[in-house]
Amino acid sequence: MTGSDPPSDRIVAVPCEGDDVLALFALADGEPLGEVPVGSHPVHAATAGGQTFVATMGERAVTAVGADGAVSRVETGVLGPSHFATANGELFVSCTAGDALAVVNPETLTLVTRIGVGAEPHEVAVAPDEGRLYSGSRREGAVDVVDPAAHERLGAVDVGGDACVQGVAIGPDGKRGYAIDQAGARVVAFDPDGVDETDGESAPSDDPIINAAAVGADPYDLVVAEDRVFVPGRRDGVVHEFDRDLGLAAVHEGFARPVDLFRIDGEWWVLDADADRLRSLSGAIVETPAPGLVATRVGDRLVVSHYDDDRISLVDVADGTVWTAETPAYPFGSVVI
Amino acid sequence: MAPDSTPGDGTVGDAGSDGTESDPAPASTRRGLLRAAAGATVAGAASAAGCLGVTTPADVAAQNDVGGNVAHFVGPSWLADNRDDVVVLDARDPERFREERIYGARRVPFDAITSRESTDSGLVPDAEAIADAFGEVGVLPDDDVLVYGASVGSRVTRTAFALGALGHAGSIRALNGGLSGWNGRLGTGDRDRITPVEYEPDPAESAWVTRDWLAERLGTFNGDGPGLVDVRIPEAYLGAPGSDALDPDNDRHGHLPGAVGVHWVGNVAGRRMTEPGRLVGLYENRAELDRAGTVVVYGDDNVDPTSTWLTLRAIGFEDVRVYDGGFGEWANVEGDRGRYPVETKTSVVVETEGSVGGDDGSGDFSCTG
Repeated sequence: MTGSDPPSDRIVAVPCEGDDVLALFALADGEPLGEVPVGSHPVHAATAGGQTFVATMGERAVTAVGADGAVSRVETGVLGPSHFATANGELFVSCTAGDALAVVNPETLTLVTRIGVGAEPHEVAVAPDEGRLYSGSRREGAVDVVDPAAHERLGAVDVGGDACVQGVAIGPDGKRGYAIDQAGARVVAFDPDGVDETDGESAPSDDPIINAAAVGADPYDLVVAEDRVFVPGRRDGVVHEFDRDLGLAAVHEGFARPVDLFRIDGEWWVLDADADRLRSLSGAIVETPAPGLVATRVGDRLVVSHYDDDRISLVDVADGTVWTAETPAYPFGSVVI
Repeated sequence: MAPDSTPGDGTVGDAGSDGTESDPAPASTRRGLLRAAAGATVAGAASAAGCLGVTTPADVAAQNDVGGNVAHFVGPSWLADNRDDVVVLDARDPERFREERIYGARRVPFDAITSRESTDSGLVPDAEAIADAFGEVGVLPDDDVLVYGASVGSRVTRTAFALGALGHAGSIRALNGGLSGWNGRLGTGDRDRITPVEYEPDPAESAWVTRDWLAERLGTFNGDGPGLVDVRIPEAYLGAPGSDALDPDNDRHGHLPGAVGVHWVGNVAGRRMTEPGRLVGLYENRAELDRAGTVVVYGDDNVDPTSTWLTLRAIGFEDVRVYDGGFGEWANVEGDRGRYPVETKTSVVVETEGSVGGDDGSGDFSCTG
């Protein structure tokens, strides 16, 4: 089944940062289904163990919504839970105001432990075999390498002393890792297996670095496919396209504030935070009700969060906007359940 | 010698040769001297001389007196009235102590009273070493003690805390205004001969907390659990990259999760404690601490936070404790750092205005006594 033919009972759950709620909509037609009060500043949602988890950056806790509607609070102990990753049935939460990943058991809704990593961890990537987890540090210019099963930090990749690591990704084959240095407007490729397991508490090493390349100003995230790496440069309105070892393939221009890319029907579509449209790298355009900051792919469609306009939309690149709906303030990273 | 007729030169010659006043100025001068002399023996008496722009020892004493419902801090007049009943401890460095001190004061080695011992739960005050230091200067557990320094800085409060940590049964007081507020008898030179005693401590473990005590309560501070105050400068609290305020010996920077930052110098105004009403506003209204609950204070080491420890107790907080290991221990813990995380982002920094006066000259601002 594809997203263009969704079951009528699927739900879009959107954390709304400005109103501290998780807003619910019917995927089929955008009908509002209610709001779940959550903690302060919810930004991302994820599902695990039959629960819906909401990262509430203004708390030292995440919110869990159970299948029975029960709303629980799972303490992380550290401020700023922002991103989720799952490995080995556990939920890993980056606590971006501190220097830890919180490990949550989604079944028991308990904090299993915390793993010390570089300060201000942000995005977390997991190797395809779930044997390693990679956490980017905005403060320390490093990507921490973690054994998710043992809950141990193995070492870290040194991206550069002044680097501010935002996006982190692992290629589909697990052979390349990538990190975005927002401060230096760079993308760095590294060997995911290049951190010696005996490094333990040692300082980050640049030995695993394979290559680095300049990208457009103010990069934040990246998209990695089998043979391509895309990096939107938000302030320059460009998207850099590289091969897997960061050989430059193309620089796509003409965007306002590109933030993300999605491959649909063989075409790469760019989400633009300052333009009311999706534009493909080949120049096709789909109008949207408002600029989109974040989108969630569901089949061949996108649920687009119009952060500054308090709306979400379901957008089909072939048919245009399917529906749009008003939301509480500042809708952000949704999940479709 | 100037001739008797020389007018207004400020010498004793201003008075007429027959002893009568030649003009009003010498009379006011004499009155000022007499008032000052009177004030020197009636500490705390308000002096009209102050209104004329002249500061007398009586004025200084009065400025440093402590009124209202404030514990632990007393002014020079209190000491003048109780001098024979208290052991006076000088918290300054040895050079200052030899140069000038309150007569009969004893000096306890500062390094000794900051000593710590390692336990499985983290660093704690080394009660035996601290007790030995007080015993060396003849302090017994039931002695009433007054501590002074150049001001009311953290050397003074650490000395008070060290006694508190031993479970000292006698009273513990600090001299508001420090040595400069004292207008009584002074001593100088090497310390007086004192017969050492055996100080048997009864450690008051409720005066401090350990690293593990804190780790077990992460996520509750300044919420459902205890209050937690970081007393360091805001740049250190926030771990501001590149700031000179960051301790280069620390592996990590920032603060304990959930701590509110209130720089300790806000407790002090020059050589005196900050006016109590302002302190209540600072800690209860702005930092939103609960005076009936437990409040833990910490700094980089175990000296500065004792200023906030004593200040909070002085204004009525019931259960104040020091994290003796400090951020230095927390930030450099080896092994499981996920159990001891730090935060670098928060908006809970309470701005303070204080300054620490004094002439300790030790070169360590944070330890000005």
